[in-house]
Amino acid sequence: MIKTPKDMKTYKKQLHEALEDSFLRSALDKFNTVYRENRPTVYEGIDFEGIRDLIAENKDRLIPFLETLFDEFKRNAQKAGTIVHRAKDAAQANEIIARIAADNQVKSIIKSKSMTAEETFLNDHLEEKGFEVTETDLGEWIIQLKHEGPSHMVMPAIHLSRYQVGELFEKQTHSRLDKENIDKLVKVARKELRPKFLEADMGISGANFAVADSGTLGLVTNEGNMRLVTTLPKIHVALVGFDKLVPNLKTTLTILKLLPRNATGQAITSYVTWIKGTNQCLNTPNKQKIMHIVFLDNGRLSLSKDPVFSQSLRCIRCGACANVCPIYSKVGGHKYGHVYIGAIGLILTLFYHGKENDRVIVKNCLNCQACKEICPVGIDLPHLIKKTYAQILKQDGKKPVKNWVLSKVMKNRKLFHFLIRQSHLAQKPFTKGAPLIRHLPSFLEKDHGFRSLPVIAKRPLRDQWEKLHQAISNPSLKVALFAGCAIDFIYPEQGKALLTLLQNAKIQTGFPMDQTCCGLPAMMAAEEDTAKKIALQNIRAFKDEKVDYIVTLCASCASHLIHNYQKIFKEAQEDPAGLKSFTRKIIDFSSFMDKVYPLDDHKPTAAKKVAYHAPCHLCRGLKVTEQPRALIQKAGFTYIPSKDEDVCCGFGGSYSVDFPEISREILKKKLDNIEASDAELLVTDCPGCVLQLRGGLDKRQSPIKVMHLVELLSKGQI
Amino acid sequence: MENKKLIQLFTQKAEAVGTIVREMGSASDAIQYTAGIANKKQMNTLACPGLSSKDRDLISDLCKSEKLTFLESPLREQASFLDISLTWANYGIAETGTLMLVSNSEEIRIATMLAQIHIAMLPISKINQDTEAIEHNLDKILKNDTPSFAAFITGASRTADIERVLAIGVHGPVELHIALLKEA
Repeated sequence: MIKTPKDMKTYKKQLHEALEDSFLRSALDKFNTVYRENRPTVYEGIDFEGIRDLIAENKDRLIPFLETLFDEFKRNAQKAGTIVHRAKDAAQANEIIARIAADNQVKSIIKSKSMTAEETFLNDHLEEKGFEVTETDLGEWIIQLKHEGPSHMVMPAIHLSRYQVGELFEKQTHSRLDKENIDKLVKVARKELRPKFLEADMGISGANFAVADSGTLGLVTNEGNMRLVTTLPKIHVALVGFDKLVPNLKTTLTILKLLPRNATGQAITSYVTWIKGTNQCLNTPNKQKIMHIVFLDNGRLSLSKDPVFSQSLRCIRCGACANVCPIYSKVGGHKYGHVYIGAIGLILTLFYHGKENDRVIVKNCLNCQACKEICPVGIDLPHLIKKTYAQILKQDGKKPVKNWVLSKVMKNRKLFHFLIRQSHLAQKPFTKGAPLIRHLPSFLEKDHGFRSLPVIAKRPLRDQWEKLHQAISNPSLKVALFAGCAIDFIYPEQGKALLTLLQNAKIQTGFPMDQTCCGLPAMMAAEEDTAKKIALQNIRAFKDEKVDYIVTLCASCASHLIHNYQKIFKEAQEDPAGLKSFTRKIIDFSSFMDKVYPLDDHKPTAAKKVAYHAPCHLCRGLKVTEQPRALIQKAGFTYIPSKDEDVCCGFGGSYSVDFPEISREILKKKLDNIEASDAELLVTDCPGCVLQLRGGLDKRQSPIKVMHLVELLSKGQI
Repeated sequence: MENKKLIQLFTQKAEAVGTIVREMGSASDAIQYTAGIANKKQMNTLACPGLSSKDRDLISDLCKSEKLTFLESPLREQASFLDISLTWANYGIAETGTLMLVSNSEEIRIATMLAQIHIAMLPISKINQDTEAIEHNLDKILKNDTPSFAAFITGASRTADIERVLAIGVHGPVELHIALLKEA
């Protein structure tokens, strides 16, 4: 029985327990790495992005017409003898299936893997009605024996070791087994389940595709159990979500190019099976099977009409959003979803299983964009996760205190900046004059002490600007700086380094004083209205700047200013004056240096070895990957590659405060990789990452220094 | 793509997932091959639904001399002791080393799903580059108003459900062999 925590305290306790599970940790960490490493081989010769965009476009076109497709499917399936049902919710689907079983005097039922059946808790219902139900997919059988839900959409028992599986099988078979030998354990399943296939009265499957123009089901599998489930018993019932409807075979075959590759790294699975109608069955009087298909709505049809969330129906259940998620790889699926697991699970849970089951898990997202990048149907998962949280708050009709304060403060730039300045004073007892806070009060140290914290600068960049800034006669270019909170108030020296570089190249630089936080923290807290108000403030602040570019040193600010500003106003159906020109001018530091800045290429290489950490919002958000690495070399340093450079550092803004234990573990892996790389310096181009990485390395007393790329370049020979 | 290259690609992709591919002349060679495998693996029973009566006679004679039991239709009751099956495949898909089998007949389904070893005969002329190339034919089959069951088969039955370690032969055949026939 799945019990997803409904309060943060219970959830955090469970997360803590999951982090202590050493098998889970090493298995999932290994999986995360291997999956990403194999990907280039798996996709050799395949235009992933091209096909992804094509599928997304096709799906978006058909999603508003799911009912029309259903009618077409039904018409065609009926011609071949299939009885087609539609169920408005889980209970109705379960009742329909139980009634089919009862009407046909069924005793035993075999099942192949179906997430939709997990969604409706079909087994529980059928067992309550007295039917014997046996899962036949190996992973599903294992979790059935363990009375658990799946911890991954494709590999339901990935959380269990061979020894745990062996123990379950020993109990089941009343015999001693060689638990070390996976091959032998698999053969136990073959032997135990074979008679079940031959004896069962009814087989239940899911489906990956319901092809409307022929009334055919398409099923993508590996083990061969689904083929037996749909062949041997005299009755076949398929439970299929409305979202599985596709117009034709062509669309299906296109999706099939990405589904197995993304799910299991296979070009194609062992079996792809196309089933239509009442196929031959020699042990029935009319030599034909009985075939039913139950289409499940359970919120899908209203979702299909939602302007924001309808794209979640594109999901083809490949499970990849979990595979690459740094949080999933630390805590596993039972702590990262309700029935549906991973990023898509955090979204769908609200719509299929209600807000109570989503309330706390939905907050557990770093917004690192790894899931969005891997998604084969282009769902904007991190964005929808925040929208889901906003939806829950809206349904609740009341906000957490944190949100209320955040909204009040951030909507008012002067108040916000006043409070930050006050923090400089408040932190004095802890800094002891040092640039980092190394020890927190004891009640905070236990959870949050994994990194030293930076101090709020005595004088923010904005207060120093007038003095630092020099007027440039005949400037080669005019730019403005979007500082963001971190540069302005924590690391003004990074802003100063930028100004030095710009002034050296005779670039005139402006700093509009009315600029404020980019608004991403508000967006992350699902404070949509606040995020919008902040966006308007910034657009207004830069409106009168006659500049070619607005440069920012923060990858998260850049990505938010460019992409989220457009999304915010598109969703609100507003088009404020200056939005387009503002977002068009925003440029991240690396791209600016690469594209615009007059660089001298001929520099001798210094011996200093520099590792690079790729900020999430730069490498995935803005797709800027090669430029920073090239800049390190151009500045005369030796770039040293390290493992998993593009995996999140675990910062995620307030995430690292809300989920410090997970943040700590993600950071640990990152720093282990850096320390294994032989680098003397670690460079990145996001002040948030600097905060996390520098704090972590300082706590480790590592000799490796952390710098923003701008500091490296201004110190280097550019 | 010229024929030779297509065969090469098909073979390479099929072998990459553990399928055993052999080029041979005709169905009678494949029958000899099947008997040879049965003998080598010390298997006892054999079924070959969908073969011509001439080929069935050939195989049933061979079974007598090789001490193999030839399983006649219906196979359902004999499924629990079916060792090896020989069937035709309708198409090959080179890009992934995949077979397409129209399996409307329950006997074909049982033979290809429950045997320990499945040997499929594929005329080389039936090898296509990719799924797009057979899309039209499959679509025609599925758009018929009669029931149908068609399968893409790529390698043996497999699972990685325990610790993500690949294990072959969980519910379906433990081995898949493809006899590529020069003459059909």
